[in-house]
Amino acid sequence: MWSYLLRNLLQRLLLLVLISFLAHAVVHLAPGEPSEVDPSNPRMKPEDIARIRAAFHLDEPLHLQYLYWLRDLVTGELKSFKDSQPVLPKIWRRFLNSLPLFLCATLIVWSLSFPTGIHAAIRRGSLYDRTTTVLAYAFISIPGFFLSYLVILWVVHTLNVPVIGMQTFGMENAQPFYRWMDRLWHLVIPSFMSAIAGIAVLSRYVRSQMLEVIGQDYIRTARAKGLPEETVMYRHALRNALLPFVTMFGFLLPALIGGSVIFEQIFAWPGLGRLGYEAILARDFPVILTLNFIAAALTLAGTFLSDILYAVVDPRIRLQ
Amino acid sequence: MADLPRTVAPVDTVDLAMPETPLQEVWRVFRKDRLAVASLGVLLALLVVAIAGKVLTDWIVLVNPETVRLPEKFKPPMSYAATELLSVADRPPFGLYLLGTDELGRDVFARMLQGSFVSLSIGFIAVGISVLIGIVLGGLAGFYGEVKLGFISVDTLIMRFTDVMLCFPTFFLILTVVALLPPSIYNIMIVIGLTSWMGTARFVRAEFLALREQDFVVAAQALGLPAWRIIFRHMVPNAIAPVLVSATIGVASAILTESALSFLGFGVQPPYATWGNILADGKNFIFDAPWLFFIPGCAILTVVLAFNLVGEALREALNPRLRRR
Amino acid sequence: MTSKRLLIAIPSLLIVLLLQSYLWVPTYEQQAVGNPQRLRTYIDASIADAKILNPILHADTASGSIVGLIFEGLLDLDENLRLRGRLATDWVISETAYLLVNPAKQLPDGTPVTGPVLYHRLTEALASGQFPALQALVTSIRLLPPERRQEVVRVPKTDEQGRAVQLEVQVTIHVPERLAFSLRQVDQDFFTRLTPIIGERYLSDFPYDHYLEVADPTLRELVRPRFRELLPVAEHNPEILFHLRRGVRFHDGHLFDAGDVKFTYEAIMDAKNLSPRTADFEPVKTLEILDPYTVKVVYKRLYSPAISAWTIGILPEHLLNAQALQREMAARGLSAAAQAAFGVRDSQFNRHPIGTGPFRFVAWQSDEFIHLRRHDEYWEGPPQYEQVYVRIIPDLLTQEVEFRTGAIDSYTPQPHQVVRYRNDTAYQSFSAPTFAYTYIGYNMRNPLFADPRVRRALGMALNVDEIITYILYGEGTRITGPYPANTDWYNADVAPLPYDPVEAQRLLAEVGWRPNAAGWLEKDGKIFEFTLITNSGNPIRKNIMTIAQNAWKRIGVKCHTQYFEWAVFLQDFINTGSFDATVLGWTTSPLDPDLYQLFHSSQSGPQQLNFVGYTNPEVDDLLLRIRQEYDHTRQRELAHQLHRLIAEDQPYTFLYTPTATRALDKKIVIVEPQPDGGERYVKIFPTKSGSITYYFNKWRKLAFTPEF
Repeated sequence: MWSYLLRNLLQRLLLLVLISFLAHAVVHLAPGEPSEVDPSNPRMKPEDIARIRAAFHLDEPLHLQYLYWLRDLVTGELKSFKDSQPVLPKIWRRFLNSLPLFLCATLIVWSLSFPTGIHAAIRRGSLYDRTTTVLAYAFISIPGFFLSYLVILWVVHTLNVPVIGMQTFGMENAQPFYRWMDRLWHLVIPSFMSAIAGIAVLSRYVRSQMLEVIGQDYIRTARAKGLPEETVMYRHALRNALLPFVTMFGFLLPALIGGSVIFEQIFAWPGLGRLGYEAILARDFPVILTLNFIAAALTLAGTFLSDILYAVVDPRIRLQ
Repeated sequence: MADLPRTVAPVDTVDLAMPETPLQEVWRVFRKDRLAVASLGVLLALLVVAIAGKVLTDWIVLVNPETVRLPEKFKPPMSYAATELLSVADRPPFGLYLLGTDELGRDVFARMLQGSFVSLSIGFIAVGISVLIGIVLGGLAGFYGEVKLGFISVDTLIMRFTDVMLCFPTFFLILTVVALLPPSIYNIMIVIGLTSWMGTARFVRAEFLALREQDFVVAAQALGLPAWRIIFRHMVPNAIAPVLVSATIGVASAILTESALSFLGFGVQPPYATWGNILADGKNFIFDAPWLFFIPGCAILTVVLAFNLVGEALREALNPRLRRR
Repeated sequence: MTSKRLLIAIPSLLIVLLLQSYLWVPTYEQQAVGNPQRLRTYIDASIADAKILNPILHADTASGSIVGLIFEGLLDLDENLRLRGRLATDWVISETAYLLVNPAKQLPDGTPVTGPVLYHRLTEALASGQFPALQALVTSIRLLPPERRQEVVRVPKTDEQGRAVQLEVQVTIHVPERLAFSLRQVDQDFFTRLTPIIGERYLSDFPYDHYLEVADPTLRELVRPRFRELLPVAEHNPEILFHLRRGVRFHDGHLFDAGDVKFTYEAIMDAKNLSPRTADFEPVKTLEILDPYTVKVVYKRLYSPAISAWTIGILPEHLLNAQALQREMAARGLSAAAQAAFGVRDSQFNRHPIGTGPFRFVAWQSDEFIHLRRHDEYWEGPPQYEQVYVRIIPDLLTQEVEFRTGAIDSYTPQPHQVVRYRNDTAYQSFSAPTFAYTYIGYNMRNPLFADPRVRRALGMALNVDEIITYILYGEGTRITGPYPANTDWYNADVAPLPYDPVEAQRLLAEVGWRPNAAGWLEKDGKIFEFTLITNSGNPIRKNIMTIAQNAWKRIGVKCHTQYFEWAVFLQDFINTGSFDATVLGWTTSPLDPDLYQLFHSSQSGPQQLNFVGYTNPEVDDLLLRIRQEYDHTRQRELAHQLHRLIAEDQPYTFLYTPTATRALDKKIVIVEPQPDGGERYVKIFPTKSGSITYYFNKWRKLAFTPEF
């Protein structure tokens, strides 16, 4: 088992290096270079541009640029093209902004989709089941920004409170409790918006897992024993249906860095997604590459974790 | 499926005269879901609209989505054009703006018509690419899974890669690539296709693993048929059902992805109108011309929902275990 | 069943917990009335985050507006676009002119030229009273001894492989005796005024070969074209003497003095800092501190835009000089490689700036907000607002939504949004002309656009007035030439191109373009077809592109359109000159009619700004003369001539000068404190120069909506 883990880990490290190099090549070979130049400033000269390119090592061969990037990443001296600030602290601050949104949305998704899905599975074919099915699909099918605008306009129109950003400004003197609640309120709508598609997908998944389990022989046996339907469902069926979801915790890791560009853009939320988006627009290569690197690392770690979790919860699987 | 019948019709069925083909059986189950049938109707209608759109806006120009009539901007749906101000060529059909006009006085109906073809072709081509990759990779993993490449088996290699792709933040990946590549509708199709094959690959692999043990495949192998023939002639047709389902849902998500890209400004460029970019442009004028926001928004919602519901019903109809109950 | 109950209870609790927070959030009314602090806080919105809060490094408008509140320059522009002293109380412009003694020449009466002869002849001439203009101008004449200096010149060369390389060549210059004239003011005609005394031909044919020694003689011919520049026979050195304001303190309490001015100049010119403002200060020859509150700046040559460069914010030397940077590097524990490249650009100062402006920096959360607090010791008296927030809200629609909920006080609306505020009771909006314009530029290297009649025809096919009415909702002024409509340089006598598609078609037919069977214009079997490009993210430019495409289709010109992101747009299309036509805009300085970089034929290489490849010798000549002209009236005449010439050639189809707009809460007014302790409220108004925020330091939000 230990040798399996070690081998697996090595494979993933190799893959990580490969991915980061590929990403590096793609980003550098694609058209467009960081423009630290105010294009509408008629006073910028070609010499100035050449100077800037040299300072960013953009005039050197690709593999050297990769090594520079790797060296600076390891020593922590990697700095953004855009504002020359160190990249890692920059990403960390954004991560802290994204975290509450991510946690809140995940909490909503996981707590809401289980009851919805289980109930639909138990009452398969009922009006409830059919309604939730259609609703779930409607939520998957609606463009996220379309729905968000509708909700924002509705909330602002009927409730007359601000919803954009992380907090209301100009209330520094208010008591901490008010300010906390204000921050919480600003979290509610964006996290619901980003959770909605998740609820729909996950509740469908829960439903189909439950249906799968309900069809198994041991459920029939449990029913035949004369156990009350509730016990059969919530004790025997649910436990077995839950198994695959444990492994999904591993997949949450990469989602941490994914951030939602669209919702962060609409709600002016200064999260990781927007950091990445702005970096792409400005061709801020160090930031794009480091974000990509972290995403790949988390993805590999996530799949690794879910493999292990799977083996832990399912006795039929042994790591070898 | 001329080779070997997979299932023999049970002897005790009542209707002995007409044994049901698998297709008929699927249709029978599918038909029971009225919502899915309605959705299928919507999709067929959409197909007609899309083709009509291509024909009417591109080949025989009856409605021109590109005509700019600035004085006629922001006319609400069902309003009549000020025909006395417009030259004959500029007039909308019957002098009526069925769905109103946009910020440049272009006919929204014409643009939606043109967009339906473009949006749909983005969905279909992207899914075509993803299905192709999915079948090839899934097939390789399922069929040649045990072949070793050095210290790693083909199956492990492909499936590890699939897993990584599956949980990589895909939208960010698409955004990065689309933003970095030169803007073109083909790049968008290809990138969406390249990042959405993972589901198909997994299904195909699972099916192949099961099919490989089936008698007709073993027999074909015993007959010494070449591997590509076994795969494409015998195994792929039998594994196509789950692919069909994920393809249907794939079209839906490709249309959504395109609209999200449009929102961020990386969508399909003019002169192509897509529902996504009509919606993204329209959102700026939500107070001045709400129809520019609601018409494409609702159109996307309806069509994507229809694709999803058809996909879901197909899944149910094709799943033998669920079907029997 | 516990699990069932839990499954129901957890989500219900969660939702209740989340939704109850609504009850604690202040509504608009509560924010406006119930919170006195809110009225002393100004919350602005910006689409993009600032990049770098340093006056010598920033290049984006978002950073610019914040830097403008934190830092101050020696000068700024007042409401009439005149220079006004800020950190400088006053300034004097004068000149030192140098004339080489050329022994190969003779004076008009046949005397051979030597240093003393020339000196005496000139002093006598001035004392004689024959030349009153010169007499009034010159304060002193000195004869300077010969000297020797060395310079390294970079010359372009093609190497063996045919690649273009830059060679560094060492040149020794034996400067002969010179006469130095101190002049009361800058006079670009000074040497022509001297010709009656020194002769018409004195300034030509200087025997450079005697005075310049090239280290590697084989390279002499390569350097030869630069000789004139290395050793000018006649040289103008304009000088500016700044008297600085005493007692001004930086936000950290440190006194401002001449050292900070010198440091700011040196930081700009330090190659390590990659400042985008080097071009403005490159003509500076020396910057001397005469005493802690007097600075003398000497320029290498005539360069009339020089003075306005001093509106740049002044940096605190004590926080950014070598020792300060050394301390910062040590604190951050940087490696040797990183230390070698460490400059002002890398300092944390750029995220925690300290200046002398009316507001001091408090906090900056990237992509969320920037927070400033007023500087109570500001030398002109503290502003009315106690705090300023700039929130970063990237989406235009949500900006408007936030504005209407009162969560922001101000934002920059799109033209179609401005219309809504015109008759609003709760909000006010302002429009003021900017110093910018939008145009369609044609790449004249493309034979398609080589004929001015073609460019004229394309311009005539566009209904620009309709664009201004329907796309800009009137938020723009039509222009006919290369200056924004509201500047002195703009020539109002040039008539705009009429909208006349028929005449456009006739012009094109004249050039040989005739409609074919399909309706497209055709010449020699090729149809008139090209691609119009612009940058993405600008909905108005995108609309103009679509309108132009449609308008040109009507005259039979087939135009494809595409937009690209800034980075790609500039690098792959504009800088390399590989495009057909583009919709773009220029932002120009209101003070300075210099358009050398945009239209001079020498500026049409790769990465240069005359990317349309416009060449006109007459225009080239005018552009040079404008640069060297110090007299406003004459500058204006030249600019008007330039405008007319360019309008005739139509290298661009000039479209409009847009207005800058700003939507504000109606409760925000200008507060004028009265001598009796009361206050008078004035409605905010844009100044003549088009600045809405000119009186920002007097703005405040009231608890009620005042009536004016």
